[in-house]
Amino acid sequence: MIPRDQAFAVLASALGAATAESTTAWLDGRLFGSTRIADNAATQCLRRRDASLYVSSAYGQQHASASTNDLSPEASREVVRRAEAAARLSPPDTEFMPPLPAEEASRYAQIEDWCQATADLPPERAPRELEPGIAEVRRLGHRLSGAYTHSAGFCAFANSNGLRGYHRSTEASIRATVLAGDGSGWAQATASSAASLDVTGVVREALQIALDSRHPSDIEPGKYTVILRPAAVQEMLPWYMVCDAKATDEGRTFLRGKLGQTVCSKRIALRSDPLDPRCPGSPFVGDGLAAEPVDWVRNGVLTNLCRSRYWAQKTGLAPSRGPTNLILDGGDASLQDLIAGTERGILVTRFWYIRVVDPMTSLLTGMTRDGLFLIEDGRITRPLRQLRFNEKVLAALSNVEAMGRPERIEGCLVPTLRIRDFTFSSTTKF
Amino acid sequence: MEDLCLHAIEAARRGNVTYADARFVALRDQWLATEDERVSGISDSESTGLGIRVLIDGAWGFAATANLGREAVAAAAAEALRIACANRAIRRPDGVRWAREPAHQAVFRTPVAQDPFAVPLERKLDLLLRTNAGVLAVKGVRKCHSHMHFRRQHRFLATTDGTLVEGEVVTSTARCTATAVDASTAKTRYLEAPAANAGYEHIERTPFLAEAERVGSEAVAHLSAKPCPVGEKDLVLHPTHLALTMHESIGHATELDRVLGMEESLAGSSFATLDQLGKLRYGSGLMTITCDNTLPGGLATMGFDDDGVPGQRWDLIRDGLLVDYQTDRETCHAIGAERSHGSCRADSWASIPIIRQSNFGLAPGKTPLTPEELIADTKDGIYIDGMGSFSIDQKRQNFQFGGDCFWEIHNGKLTGMLKDVTYQAITTEFWRSLDAVCDQRFWMSIGVMNCGKGDPMQIAQMSHSAAPCRFRRIRVGGAR
Repeated sequence: MIPRDQAFAVLASALGAATAESTTAWLDGRLFGSTRIADNAATQCLRRRDASLYVSSAYGQQHASASTNDLSPEASREVVRRAEAAARLSPPDTEFMPPLPAEEASRYAQIEDWCQATADLPPERAPRELEPGIAEVRRLGHRLSGAYTHSAGFCAFANSNGLRGYHRSTEASIRATVLAGDGSGWAQATASSAASLDVTGVVREALQIALDSRHPSDIEPGKYTVILRPAAVQEMLPWYMVCDAKATDEGRTFLRGKLGQTVCSKRIALRSDPLDPRCPGSPFVGDGLAAEPVDWVRNGVLTNLCRSRYWAQKTGLAPSRGPTNLILDGGDASLQDLIAGTERGILVTRFWYIRVVDPMTSLLTGMTRDGLFLIEDGRITRPLRQLRFNEKVLAALSNVEAMGRPERIEGCLVPTLRIRDFTFSSTTKF
Repeated sequence: MEDLCLHAIEAARRGNVTYADARFVALRDQWLATEDERVSGISDSESTGLGIRVLIDGAWGFAATANLGREAVAAAAAEALRIACANRAIRRPDGVRWAREPAHQAVFRTPVAQDPFAVPLERKLDLLLRTNAGVLAVKGVRKCHSHMHFRRQHRFLATTDGTLVEGEVVTSTARCTATAVDASTAKTRYLEAPAANAGYEHIERTPFLAEAERVGSEAVAHLSAKPCPVGEKDLVLHPTHLALTMHESIGHATELDRVLGMEESLAGSSFATLDQLGKLRYGSGLMTITCDNTLPGGLATMGFDDDGVPGQRWDLIRDGLLVDYQTDRETCHAIGAERSHGSCRADSWASIPIIRQSNFGLAPGKTPLTPEELIADTKDGIYIDGMGSFSIDQKRQNFQFGGDCFWEIHNGKLTGMLKDVTYQAITTEFWRSLDAVCDQRFWMSIGVMNCGKGDPMQIAQMSHSAAPCRFRRIRVGGAR
C-alpha cells in the first residue's frame, strides 16, 4: 500500500524522466489476503503485495505504453524509455486523444472507501472468523468450501498537463458453498470493512440452502417465471447493458440504433454512481476522466453508452468511460413477498459459466447452481436439478414483474428480480 | 536469483517446515493491437517477484513480494510462516500427504528461432496492418481487429527437497478477426496463429496475408448463411474447434483437485469421481487421451511444474476408459500414486500453485482418413471450425458450444454456410458418439491462453491436440 504523497513522488519521478510530447503515468497496487476453504479446512492461505507503474508516451498521435512492478528510480526511467521507444516506432493513431487538462481534477468527487482496520487485518483474523462456521457444518456432517478475503488497494495517476489523482479503498468478503449430500447452497457478503461481515451468518445461509436443496428432482425445460436472487442478477444482467458507443454506432452490438429508445421494462433503472456509499466507486476512470453519475437505462429507455473521449468528440456527445460501479435500482419486496406472489416459478440462487451466444441479440447461456427450487402457489415446494438457460438480456429485462431490495455484490448493487417467460433449454445430471 | 530463492528457503526453514519452496518469476508481456488501418495499442509490461510457500503441521501459508531485497524476502518468508501457523486451527484433520520427489537441478528453455521481443516492432505492426488491409479489401467487411501477443517467463524454483531448477518459456500468438455488418446484424470470422511455446517463427508460419481475403469473404458469407437447424446432426469438428470442447469436458473434469472437492467454491467439482477410475466409459473405443507436458510447442511444456516435478507423458483415457487424472504432489496419494504427474502451476510469482490442465491430445486415427474423406462419408451433418461460445456446468456434464464458422454437410458434401450453430450434450454421451478420427497427418495442437481457475482466479495456458473427428447425432440448435 503506497500512501498518496509517496505515490505522487513515484509518478513525478517518471514524468520527470519523460521526453515525449505528452505522458501519462499510473501507479496502482494492493495488499490482498485470502483464506480458502475446502472440505471444512483451510487449503490455500495467501498474502501478496504488489504495485505497478504504467507509462503511456505520445509524440503527436504516435503512442505506446509500458509497465513495470519495479518501482526503483532506475526502473522508472527504463519503463519511460521503453514506452517512448515504442511510441516513436508506432504509426500515428487517428483516434489518439491528448492527456486531459489539470482542471479535470476539479470534477473529482471525494469518495471515502477506506477502513484502516481492514487494511491492517492480521493473518489470525481469518481462521478466527471461519472456525465457528466450519465447526457447525462439520458437526452436521456436511462440507464447507469458500474464501474469506480482504484487500487494501490504491490507484494514482499524473499526466504532463499537471492533472493528477489518488484513490484508495478496502474490501472484505466471504463466499461460502455448503454441500449437504446431494444438496448445495451458496451465500456471500462484501463490504468495505471486515468488521461488517457476519461470516458465520453467511455460512449458515449457505447451509440452509444446501439442506433445503437435498434430493432434487427434474423439471421439464421450458419457459418459467423465475425469481433471480441478487447473485444471479449480478452475473447475468447489468454488465451486458453497458456497451461501447463506437461498436454500437458501427452496428456491432445488440444496442445498435436503440439509444434513446425503450429497450426493456419501465421498471428498469440502471446507473453508475461512484458516490453511492452502499457500493462506492472510484472518483476517476481510465486516463483521469472524472467518474460522474451516469444513467445507462432510465424508465426502460437506453440513455447512454460507454463512450471514449475520441468517439465523444467525433459524435458531439459527452464521454462516459467504463463504469466503476453498477446500480440496478430495486423495490421494497422481500424474498418471501416475491415468492408469495408467484403462482408457479423457479427460484434461482445463482448462475454459473454465463457466456454470450449471440452478441447481436444479447442471447446468453449459463447454468443454475447451488440452490434451485420450484415455487407453486406462493411457496417453495421442492428442490430441482440444475438447468441450462438460453435467454436474451433485453427479453429478461423486459419481462421484469417485481423487484426486491438491492444487495452489494462485486462492484454492483442489484436486487432480486421476478421475471416471467425465462427460457430454460436443458437439464443436467445433478 | 538462485541465491535469493535459497535465501528464502533458509528463512522458511526457521519455521520448522515440513516443506517449503521459493519461486522467482520475471514475466515480460508484449501486446500489439490494431483496428482497421490504425495501431490501437502497444503495451510492454514486466512483472517480477518472489512467492514463498510453506507447509507446517498440515497447514499451508503463502506470501509473495515484489521487493527483492534480502530483508523483504526474509520478511515474506516470515509472513508465510505466520499465515501457516495461524491456519493450523482450521487445517485438515488428516493433514497434508505431500508426495516425495527426488531433488532436481536442471535448466529448461523453450527452443526459439526468432526471439519475438527482438523482432523489430515495425515488422510486427506491418504484418498486422497489411493483414487488416487484405481483410478490409473484401466488400462488406466493416471492421478488422488484429493483435499479436508475446510472453517470456523466466523462473527459478528452489525447494526444501533440494531442487533448484530454472526455466525460460516463450509464447507467441496472433489473431485477426473480420467483422461484416449488414442492415440487420454483424458476423465475424477469425484467423490465428494458435498460441504456442515458440518464437516469432511461429507467427511467420501462419499465412495471414494469403488468407486475409478468405477470412473477410467468410465473414461476409456468414451474414447471409442459413440459420442453424434444430434437431440431431452428425458433427465434424476441426481441431481449432474441438480443442475447446476437449478443454472443458475432459481437461477440467480430470483435474484431481476438482475431483476431490478442493475447487468446489469456485470452479466446481467433477462427475469423474474417484470411484469411477478404471470403470467410467468416458467415450467410444476411439477415444484415447494422452497428457504430454513434454510436447514441443505445448503451452504447458516448461520443464518442471511449480511443485518441482518434471514434465511427463501419461494416458488419462485409454480406449474410452478413464484410467488416470491430472495430479500434483498434494493430491496424487488419493489415487494411490507415489508420485505426482507434474500438473501444478501458478500463473505468477504472486499466486499459489494449483493443478492446471496439462497439454493433452486425442490420439489420431490408426487408419488413413482425410478430412475430405470424413466429410464425404457424412450424410447429414455440420462441419465446425474455430472457437465460439462455450458453457458447461460445474461438474462438467451439461455443455453447450458454438463455434466460429459452420457448414452444412449433405450427402457427403459441404452445401453451404450456416450461422448461429450451437450444440448441446452431456459429456459422456458426446464422447461415446465419437465414431471417426482423421489420421496423424491432420493432428495439430491449439494453445489455450486464458484458462481460468482458482480463487483468487488464476489464468493458465496449455495446449490441446487432435485431428478432425466425427460425433454422431448430437443435438443442435437448442439456443434461441
